[in-house]
Amino acid sequence: MEKQRPDAERGPGALALRRFWHNRLAVAFLGLFVLIVVFVLAAPLWAEHVAESGPNEEHTVDVIVVDGEKRDVVTPEGKPIGPQWFGAGGKFFLGADGRLGRDEMVRLMYGGRTSLLIGITAALIATALAVILGLLAGYYRGWVDAVIARTLDTIWALPVFLIGLSLGIAFAVGGFELGPVQLEGGSLMIPIGIISIFTVPYIARPIRGEVLALSEKEFVEAAVAQGAGPLRVMFSEILPNLASTVIVFSTLMIASAMLFEAGLSFLGAGVQPPNSSWGTMITVGVELLRIQPLLAIIPGLMITLTVLALNVVGDGLRDALDPRGKAKLDAALELETQAAAGDRAQVL
Amino acid sequence: MKRLVKTIAFLALTAAAAIGLASCGGGDDKSSGGGGGGKEGGILNVTYGSFPDFMDPALSYTVEGWTAMAEVYLPLLTYEHANGNEGSEVIPGLAKDLPEISNGGKTYTLFLRPGLKYSDGTPVKASDFPFSVERMIELNSPGSSFYMTIEGAEKFAETKQGSIPGIEADDKTGEIVINLETPRGTFTNELALLFVAVLPQSTPIEDVSAKPAPATGPYMITKSQPGKGWEYARNPYWEKANGKAMPELPGGVIDGAKVTVIRNEQTQVDGVERGTYEWMQNPPPSSRYAEVKEKYDGSQFRVEPTISTYFFWMNTKQPPFDDVEVRQAVNHAVDPRALERIYAGQLTGSQQVLPEGMPGHEDLELYPYDVDKAKQMIEEADPSDMDITVWSDSESPNNEAGEYFTEVLRELGFDAKLKLLTADNYTAVIGNESTPNLDAGWSNWYQDYPHPNDFFQPLLAGESIQPTNNYNFSQFDQPAINKKIIELGEEQLGPEEEAGYQELDKEVMELAPWAPFGSRTVSTFVSDEIDLDSVIFNLTMGQYLSSFEFK
Repeated sequence: MEKQRPDAERGPGALALRRFWHNRLAVAFLGLFVLIVVFVLAAPLWAEHVAESGPNEEHTVDVIVVDGEKRDVVTPEGKPIGPQWFGAGGKFFLGADGRLGRDEMVRLMYGGRTSLLIGITAALIATALAVILGLLAGYYRGWVDAVIARTLDTIWALPVFLIGLSLGIAFAVGGFELGPVQLEGGSLMIPIGIISIFTVPYIARPIRGEVLALSEKEFVEAAVAQGAGPLRVMFSEILPNLASTVIVFSTLMIASAMLFEAGLSFLGAGVQPPNSSWGTMITVGVELLRIQPLLAIIPGLMITLTVLALNVVGDGLRDALDPRGKAKLDAALELETQAAAGDRAQVL
Repeated sequence: MKRLVKTIAFLALTAAAAIGLASCGGGDDKSSGGGGGGKEGGILNVTYGSFPDFMDPALSYTVEGWTAMAEVYLPLLTYEHANGNEGSEVIPGLAKDLPEISNGGKTYTLFLRPGLKYSDGTPVKASDFPFSVERMIELNSPGSSFYMTIEGAEKFAETKQGSIPGIEADDKTGEIVINLETPRGTFTNELALLFVAVLPQSTPIEDVSAKPAPATGPYMITKSQPGKGWEYARNPYWEKANGKAMPELPGGVIDGAKVTVIRNEQTQVDGVERGTYEWMQNPPPSSRYAEVKEKYDGSQFRVEPTISTYFFWMNTKQPPFDDVEVRQAVNHAVDPRALERIYAGQLTGSQQVLPEGMPGHEDLELYPYDVDKAKQMIEEADPSDMDITVWSDSESPNNEAGEYFTEVLRELGFDAKLKLLTADNYTAVIGNESTPNLDAGWSNWYQDYPHPNDFFQPLLAGESIQPTNNYNFSQFDQPAINKKIIELGEEQLGPEEEAGYQELDKEVMELAPWAPFGSRTVSTFVSDEIDLDSVIFNLTMGQYLSSFEFK
């Protein structure tokens, strides 16, 4: 039997893992998140072997056999069939999604893939941009900081959701074209791009604050004294110290990005039909709320569970990666606020 | 039986006219006719699902627009204020009588009623009629094509200079003479369209949706906020002048109306149920239709027939739909039964241009549903371009019809993408040739007047293709079909012409510029404050504002 090593002998990664493992709530929600990911990744298997229907396949005039009885997927009055669970061998497990008679379960699984894909990609892009901007602003200070910080402030001050909505609708119809970048109207890159750009300040500002604090530390001064250039200092010395903040924020940003996507899609400015996301599924479900309430409730519940899981896991990671992380983050935010106030005073 | 109905209708009409005349001279009585014993006055709170395409009679070409303006802007001729087929009868509007047709069907002579005034007090003059026609053509109105047979109209449309020599107007006598280059059997109906509603000569030659022109009807629009709503008040010169000059037309019972555009149909239904709104112009959403019908049928809800065709258009000028075999394949792949369910039982499936109820309609079954055959036809046609943009408006269930069509095209192997636009600007966008990727899409057509030519000339004749405000979405321009449309349109409608339209319907559908899928019913849904029986639904104009009465 292996002898348990004292904490002092463990690396920071192992320590963080141990601390995370002891946070039962975070572990439970991580398990839930993994389950959700497995659920959406299993979409093709369910679609092919159980539901025998693709996510956009319409069954408006189809008839299925439920417990030996023939039933319309959509009645002549346009009412979709409700949840059949396993009554039809897993077909229409959660019923049909509306008058087009698409399998709700299949769309839920594929919609989850879309929602997670958008959430994760947008969060990664936003985090990468935020890290670069935060490093540049916090390290160089002066006019570089002024330009970046004020740009971030401007984006922060904008009614982000309304602008995202307007851009989403405009690009959904006309597509997006800027130099070599060409996106068609229905491209998922449109909601991803919109969400990424508008969420950058939420990560960049605290990172900038933390870089401001780190750049005055002795190890940075030592690196500069040894002749390290700005890029090396930023990426080799400061960036590794930002890891815990970046990891925690990117986890939380996935949740925010998914909520943003759901809102945009619900209002017709995100994922475009016939493709599904949990947001678009709620839109369809709301219309039929009186006759098939589960159509709106289930994708809503999936969004809630995913966002909740990511938030709890994010909090758990923060506690695990740096037990003083919260205090440190608060200090960074405070420093960032003071620096911004100082800049404003200078201008005045 | 028919005779008995006619006798009863005549007696009812006489009684209504007598009531109207009596109330005209009624001193303090605000109404100048109409009414069924309800409360006088009141402001009607109305909700529309979208703002009309234009609040300009020369430009509007939607049911919403015509319903909104039918009793604001009157043409020389108008329609009987009646439900059903009786409402299809053309009656004199601003003109004293129906036109005298002479010169082999090429000259129409009318006389303006004396003493008419606009709502701003300006007298209505005979010369306002040629001005209104010229203004409409100058604005590239989608209705222009109806009037291109007037002598000199085509040249005027090209140059936009001078005037149209084919219209002579004498302000002193009120005489208006219209000379056509060729006889046109539908011209009497076309004189009753809002496109040629008479406007004062001070009206700007531009879209006046935000600042509506003075009215000649019983109501005027006092405020218009495109996208949001508009308001009506009584035309002060109706009671003083126009109502007396046109006693056949009801003056209305309500004092005015406030219209709010609410894009969420569920909210509209809730609003009517709670009494916040007294009438919703568009039908309840499909998800609530059965429920509303069951609860309110007969008391607050009534199903209204329409003469309409719902269809998917395909651009015949561009690949892949420039190939007739591809278009025929798409017709085989569209299943009207599926669309009946998508429209929640408010649509009767059919696959032809002329809807049931229109003279010349004869059931066609050219494209029985057969996806395998459709796929085989596509394989044989081997289209060069497989990328298709499908257009539809975002109102339910039209958006779902668009989704359905997109999926049908995907099933046939195309890379189809759906673009949804709000109903407010849908027709303007897809009717503009500069819009990219106008490959295929959803549309519908409600009769302008009860004549089969109305389903061919504006939608499927080559001469109707316009750079803007185009309604020939398929860009369909077949010389033989164009010739037949013109020939049939020159004749007054009779059994021979009806047979001709039957044949034309078949010939067009063999070339398949559209994949038609059915005709729709609409509805009148009012709050419990309104007397449903008094509300008149005209097959051409929709619900008449003057027919609403508070209980």
